[in-house]
Amino acid sequence: MKLNVNRHRIAVRINWKYIAIGLAVLPFAAVFVAWLGFFNIGAASGHWRITELFLQLAMRSAVRTYAIGIEEPEAFDRGAILPAAGHFARGCATCHGAPGEPRPAMVKAMLPRPPRLERAVHAWDDAQLFRIVKRGIRFTGMPAWPTQMRDDEVWGMVAFLRRLPDLDPEEYRNLAYGPAKRSRASGFNGSFDAALAGCARCHGMDGLGRSAFVPVIAGQHRAYFVESLRAYAAGERASGIMELAATEADRKLWQRLAEYYASLPATEDEQSAADAERIARGRRIAQYGVPRRDIPACLGCHGRPDRNPVYPQLDGQKRPYLENQLRLFAEGERGGTDYAHLMTEFASRLERKEIESLAAYFASRQVQRGKAE
Amino acid sequence: MKAQSVAAYLLPVGCLVAGCSDAQSVLNPHGAEAESIALLFWITAIGGALIWLAVVGALIYAGRRHRKPYSQASAARLVLWAGAVVPSILLAVLLGYALALIPDLRPLAASADDDRLHIEVIGEQFWWRVIYHPPDGQPVVSANEVRLPVGERVTFSLKSTDVIHSFWIPPLGGKMDMIPGRTNTFSLKATKAGIFRSPCTEFCGPSHALMAFTAVAMKPGRFDRWLANEGKEAVNGKPGLKPFLANGCGACHAIRGTEADGAVGPDLTHLASRKTLAAGSLPNTEDAIARFIAEPDEVKPGVRMPAFGMLPQDEIDAIAAYLARLE
Repeated sequence: MKLNVNRHRIAVRINWKYIAIGLAVLPFAAVFVAWLGFFNIGAASGHWRITELFLQLAMRSAVRTYAIGIEEPEAFDRGAILPAAGHFARGCATCHGAPGEPRPAMVKAMLPRPPRLERAVHAWDDAQLFRIVKRGIRFTGMPAWPTQMRDDEVWGMVAFLRRLPDLDPEEYRNLAYGPAKRSRASGFNGSFDAALAGCARCHGMDGLGRSAFVPVIAGQHRAYFVESLRAYAAGERASGIMELAATEADRKLWQRLAEYYASLPATEDEQSAADAERIARGRRIAQYGVPRRDIPACLGCHGRPDRNPVYPQLDGQKRPYLENQLRLFAEGERGGTDYAHLMTEFASRLERKEIESLAAYFASRQVQRGKAE
Repeated sequence: MKAQSVAAYLLPVGCLVAGCSDAQSVLNPHGAEAESIALLFWITAIGGALIWLAVVGALIYAGRRHRKPYSQASAARLVLWAGAVVPSILLAVLLGYALALIPDLRPLAASADDDRLHIEVIGEQFWWRVIYHPPDGQPVVSANEVRLPVGERVTFSLKSTDVIHSFWIPPLGGKMDMIPGRTNTFSLKATKAGIFRSPCTEFCGPSHALMAFTAVAMKPGRFDRWLANEGKEAVNGKPGLKPFLANGCGACHAIRGTEADGAVGPDLTHLASRKTLAAGSLPNTEDAIARFIAEPDEVKPGVRMPAFGMLPQDEIDAIAAYLARLE
């Protein structure tokens, strides 16, 4: 009896030992098998069915879980859809296709094959789409949004994706390419006209911006224009949309693009009478600042005809755009030219109501200066 | 070894004594309030020292010389006189003297409506806005320097825009807190000319130790000439005004006589006539001005002025050269 107990104990001890050794060896064995190189990683034959089921399960579950707690903004202005459409045409349509645009054959050979979004978006709710667009998906080729600091842009894309299933090719082309009416096929061959068409998708050939969230760049000073493109391309000013656009346009063409838009007349936004009080409040802050709270007069920089050319022209700029930029500055997420930290500092001292008033005031201001110089 | 330890004890004493002749010392009185406080201090200190010597002397006498016990009656007399009557009289006299000083130290009638020079000082992180209100004439705005005429009582209105600061000119008098939302009023009278350092004496943030103003007590005639000049517009032909305005410095700083009319930061109209730069942080030189433009946050942590180090160096130098000549 006694002997049996002892034997039993010994047997248990030996079993554990084998398991421990097995576990310790396992990773080395896995590396060894991979090193042998017999595992087929080619895309042509596709995944094993079980691998595919597992990956699908993992992805869907992860998107569902990580979408919990994402707060959806109040109804997003439709104006945000337009820059998202331009960005979709530039960044997404190559793989996902678009209304009236078939995909190149090589995309269909990708593993996994990117879904046609007209059909696929129904499977996700808004927060889940936001999560996918913002963070991307590993092992699929789906990239993250170029910057992680512009949720407003990502929400604009979500709003666009919701519209996408209902767009016919004509509507899509109008949204995404605008006046230039260029399709992707005639695309970017490095010529000035092609680069200009890239800008005009959202900003228009007249530089006035084709929606409320696209700023007026007509009449903007060349130095500010070029410095901003540089900041976008270097990732110093946060915008997924403009980072892609700025890196796509040939750097040598920036100056000519700047000259083109600087030479155009900026017209002021029409204001409704309901805004008069708000404009008056904004004017007070812009002219005198709020010295008590160390907020300087905006016009001390932005109102001077002889100002540093890297200080932008704000007169007649779009109200929603200005509001959004001031909010981004206040949150410390905008970035920009070498002078952007000045605005980060000052905007952080503004209250939300003051931001709205200032945006209304600058939108209402007559363009002060003649030719940009 | 012994000499060393003695030196170690004397070192802090030496430092303290050296502090007495400093421009920041209460024991170097140049004003009515500081003089009476200094006199009170000396009376108390010397009186205290004499009493201490008397008590220690009596102890030694009782312990070493007079080994015979006292009678109960004489012991009771000693306790009564030396322990109760004399201290009570001394303390009562001292209290009476101190109370008698108060009306002169903080005249109750001091208010902004007096028919005399009135100086408004506003503490802001981390500098001082100074506004002179002469009884007959326009207010004159300046910063980080308080000048006052010798022999005249001057009324101060003390305010703050952000946190509590405290106003103190050690050789003249004070101190009094500057409290947001309140106006504290008191007055000072300088009796001798001099230049003093006046630190903020209430912890107010990361650059509290770098917040000081220069106080200058001047002969009345010189003061009047100085104030007349301080009220004038800036005269300066240097080309640095152009970059100063183009880069928006005028949105925060005023230079009277130019388009710069900002009321956020210190008035710079006569910057070059001030003794120090950035509220006592730097010597007032052209190089120091250029450095402060480029990296104010390195000089004064937590400063509200953003750094302008991204400006081309020639513009920084031009602005500094312009400001250094605003007399």
